[in-house]
Amino acid sequence: MLLYTLRRILYAVPIALAVSLVCFMLVHIAPGDPIDAILPPDASAETVALVRKDYGLDKPLPVQFGLWLAHVVQGDFGRSIANRRLVADELVSAASKTFILATTAASLGFVIGCILGGLAGAFRGTLIDRAAVSFAVGGVSVPHYWLGMVLVIIFSVTLGWLPSMSAGPGDWAWDWLHIRHLILPAITLSVIPAGLVTRTVRGVVVEILSQDFMTTLRGKGLRRLMLTVHVMKNAAPTALAVMGLQLGYLMGGSILVETVFAWPGTGMMLNQAIFQRDIPVLQGTTLVLAMIFVALNLLVDLIQTALDPRMRRT
Amino acid sequence: MTEIATVSSGLVAPRRILKPRRASYWRAVGRRLLRDRVTMVCLGILAVMALAMIFAPLLGLYDPLQGSMIRRLKPVGTPGHILGTDELGRDMLTRLIYGGRLSWFVGITPVAIAFVVGGALGITAGYAGGRINMAIMRITDVFYAFPSVLLAVAISGALGPGIGNAIIAMTMVFIPMMIRISESVTTSTRNLDYVEAARSTGASALTVVRVHVLPNVLGSIFVYATTLVSVSMILASGLSFIGLGVKPPEPEWGLMLNTLRTAIYTQPLLATLPGLGIFVTSLCFNMASDGLRAAMDVRA
Amino acid sequence: MKNPILTLCGLGRRDEYFKGRATNRRSKKSILVSAVILGAGLLASAPLHAQTLRVGMTTSDVPTTGGIPDNGSEGGRFAGYPIFDALVNWDFTKTDQISDLTPGLATEWHIDPNDHKRWIFTLREGVRFHDGTAFKADDVIWNFDRHLNEAAPHFDKAQARSYRTYTSMVEKYEKIDDTHVALYTRVPFSMLPYLISRVFMVSPTQYAKIGNWQDFQKAPAGTGPFKVEKVTPRTSIELVRNDDYWDKTRVPKLKRLVLMPIPDANTRLAALRSGQVDWVEYPAPDSIPGLKASGFQIVTKPYPHVWAWHANNSDASPISDRRVRLALNYGLDRKSLVEMLGGTAIPARGPWPDSYKYFGRPSENYTYNPDKARALLKEAGYGPGGKTLKLKVQVPTAGSGNMVPLPMAEFVQQSYKELGIETEYTVVDWGTMLNTMRQRPDRPGAPHLDVVNHGLPISDPTQFFLNFHGSSAPPNGSNWSLYKNPKVDALLDKAFESFEPKERDELIAQAHALVVDDAPWVFVVHDLNPRALSPKVKGFKQAQSWYQDFTQVTVDE
Repeated sequence: MLLYTLRRILYAVPIALAVSLVCFMLVHIAPGDPIDAILPPDASAETVALVRKDYGLDKPLPVQFGLWLAHVVQGDFGRSIANRRLVADELVSAASKTFILATTAASLGFVIGCILGGLAGAFRGTLIDRAAVSFAVGGVSVPHYWLGMVLVIIFSVTLGWLPSMSAGPGDWAWDWLHIRHLILPAITLSVIPAGLVTRTVRGVVVEILSQDFMTTLRGKGLRRLMLTVHVMKNAAPTALAVMGLQLGYLMGGSILVETVFAWPGTGMMLNQAIFQRDIPVLQGTTLVLAMIFVALNLLVDLIQTALDPRMRRT
Repeated sequence: MTEIATVSSGLVAPRRILKPRRASYWRAVGRRLLRDRVTMVCLGILAVMALAMIFAPLLGLYDPLQGSMIRRLKPVGTPGHILGTDELGRDMLTRLIYGGRLSWFVGITPVAIAFVVGGALGITAGYAGGRINMAIMRITDVFYAFPSVLLAVAISGALGPGIGNAIIAMTMVFIPMMIRISESVTTSTRNLDYVEAARSTGASALTVVRVHVLPNVLGSIFVYATTLVSVSMILASGLSFIGLGVKPPEPEWGLMLNTLRTAIYTQPLLATLPGLGIFVTSLCFNMASDGLRAAMDVRA
Repeated sequence: MKNPILTLCGLGRRDEYFKGRATNRRSKKSILVSAVILGAGLLASAPLHAQTLRVGMTTSDVPTTGGIPDNGSEGGRFAGYPIFDALVNWDFTKTDQISDLTPGLATEWHIDPNDHKRWIFTLREGVRFHDGTAFKADDVIWNFDRHLNEAAPHFDKAQARSYRTYTSMVEKYEKIDDTHVALYTRVPFSMLPYLISRVFMVSPTQYAKIGNWQDFQKAPAGTGPFKVEKVTPRTSIELVRNDDYWDKTRVPKLKRLVLMPIPDANTRLAALRSGQVDWVEYPAPDSIPGLKASGFQIVTKPYPHVWAWHANNSDASPISDRRVRLALNYGLDRKSLVEMLGGTAIPARGPWPDSYKYFGRPSENYTYNPDKARALLKEAGYGPGGKTLKLKVQVPTAGSGNMVPLPMAEFVQQSYKELGIETEYTVVDWGTMLNTMRQRPDRPGAPHLDVVNHGLPISDPTQFFLNFHGSSAPPNGSNWSLYKNPKVDALLDKAFESFEPKERDELIAQAHALVVDDAPWVFVVHDLNPRALSPKVKGFKQAQSWYQDFTQVTVDE
């Protein structure tokens, strides 16, 4: 087990390196001189020269990559072209906001998915099953940016119950003043994981229920719902794995929802960076989110293996 | 969004299709599909949409780009404009049909390219095994290490807005997924007894692949690709929605959804129509590919 | 009605005064009734936002708060005059005419009769910065050093450049005594006070305490009616009342002013409708009828603004041909565009509205005349039988003064398509566009652009100078078009050397008429500065200006 864990962690290192290479290349696939992608167009000649030297932009690409990596490892992602603030500073506050949104949405999706999937599996073929499956398909098919707009119309504007935008005043805190702001975007973002978990859990439950030992248990007179609880225990590792990956996807994929709700996270940062052609911010944000994703992948893998050693991957 | 397909098919795909398939098998699949009412309805809806888009110029619609200031934002049900008009007075039905052309095009093209390129690479990796497999799969792992939406947004963001760039970005997202699935299916096929047997008779790799491997794997790779279409539609329109992707005045559902947002309080139904277009398409593709998978699943 | 004292007290017209009282009485009564019915519980929970005004701005980020606000005039409106004062401020009290200057940190200024390049400013005494230190003549010099003296340790390298347009006319400056400073212009320049109305005074002591301009923005100290309490990047600026403000008539009635950047028009609207903000800048025209129906106040006032196509007049562009530009000006159906904008704008015939004293008597009158436009295009060699006119246009997604750029740009595109003109749009963030416009379009390596689509203030003759004088090409000014007409230059030079108001105004009007006839831009519409206010917001008198006064505003509970 220990060996496996070590191997798995070691394997993540080249992946992380390759991921940063892809992020590094973002500057170079952007049209034009990379220096234009790093500095504002009205930067003075001396600044241009300084940065060019610092990042070795006159040197071959592998050297540049090395220099850039050295900066990044020290937490230096450069400065934003648009507002000259340090990208790293911005990232910390934005990523934490996105993390709050993504974890809430993922947990919400997990709970809803487990309940619906469990019910659907237990009452296979009934109306409940069909309703849950429809919800699942709907959840993964709905363009969530559109769903967000619809929720805002209903709950913010028509009913006036919840705010439609931002993460509340000042810094984040877990009080009602701020949580109100979280509800709509979290619900919007949770439909995808909810749909996926419903499907997964339903599948697992159906499969377990059809196995022989269940028939035996049933023969012993265990009630259906009790059985389900038993089944859920077996389904949990799969559902958890789906959820862990989902959390990573949501962190990276919340850009559309953050745009609709003006949620000040990495998604909104990315969105603004793209239209300001603010490549350092684009690069830094992408890198951090991808690294979080790599780490989560690793974590999910390790936990899963710990729970069920048969599931080892290389 | 993309993970939908990964998880759902990932669980099923490698397990089935371990038998050589003959014409009788496909006839059975066809029969099962015909009996599946939900799938048939979805396929029907998709067919009607596709036909309307293909024959749009023959339907006697309005000019999708020509507006009129006098008839702006007419509600759904206006005589002459059955689905109303948009913020520049352009006929909504016309825009939705022409918009669908572009949305479908941007949604399906990346999957189609990924199907060919990713499928080819995946089969190569799976059949060849060894170092070739290593090389292809490790590179795939790198792209897999990005959340899909992020990867698409980052690439098209760096390249700049535009249809071409959006398609490139999304293709980059789907190719690794196609590689993974086709590699795993091919690997399991390769180890089947009769394929081993064919190899041992000294048939050329190309022949073995063509005669024994392709017929077995193409079906499931195709089903997987159909599940990706729904994801791709949402992602493509999403890119246009935030301003990457299609540029005005071309009609495209995501972009239309964005420009109509300001009318959401005056004409809420009208403003949600393009979103409904995306939703219905994506839903039908999802259900149809579910149906197809069920029909092809021998165990079912 | 024009009683200045009444206006100063924020009471303005009589009927408004009584109306205000009546509403107040009614609301007090209703509070009383609610209190009786619902008990004390309600009262305890109600005044959460007592006397707080929350504003949704159109900017994509919070404007910089260190005294050199970015995000254009909207930045100045929210992170400029509320927090800081310049030597010369803008007068918000006369709302029936286009705003002009008023004494700020200088009580009086005049040109040196012996030297027409030397201005003498008398400083206001007894003013204190938000950090408690007194405002002195040395601070004025220190602040100009921040902008202009590259050798000074506190020279603001990163930001000073963006205010060069306002400061480049100042050649040197000196302290005369503790209450007087002198500013020297490069050439005799009668409009200097307009330019330096954007040079805000910040506290040197506060800067010394913090040590760099980047961090200074988090806790700046100016002399304005509001103090900065907290700046959260991308989220909000929170201001609180400065009880010690030197102008006692303008000590804010509000306790707090919270400014939030909400670039997306729809999000802004939802925020207003759901009560997250009390005030939004530029509500989307399509939303206005609905807002009015729901009881929101929509305020509009003319002000010197023009939404225009800035044509690249350099030789590389087909639009450098005057006939093409005239064709574009005649081929645009501005009336329909105004209709689309729900009446929040008026058609433009030149940089300034024709009601303004500087409009002059141009010979071209840009009414909608597609036949004339086609004829002009044909003459220039375009259209059927000739070449196709193709134009590359940069369009911003949002931004102060840009109104609803995308639908408007689409409208313009459609109009020109009917004339056989192909337009290709590049959509960019507004900040990116401002960067584009800070550089010459013909500089080597610049991506080719024929047009920049921009709505902007031409709030006074200096702005006109910065946009149309031949010497104002970037980086000296905003003349991205590289427009140069020696006659216009001569008229403006003469006007700016003239310290005789009547003669000066006439010269400027003549220059304006010439610019209209040359059509370096396509003049599209003048915005009417709409904003939407919740019914709870009281006491706001919209000035005919880019800047507005928040000190007289109150918010009902």
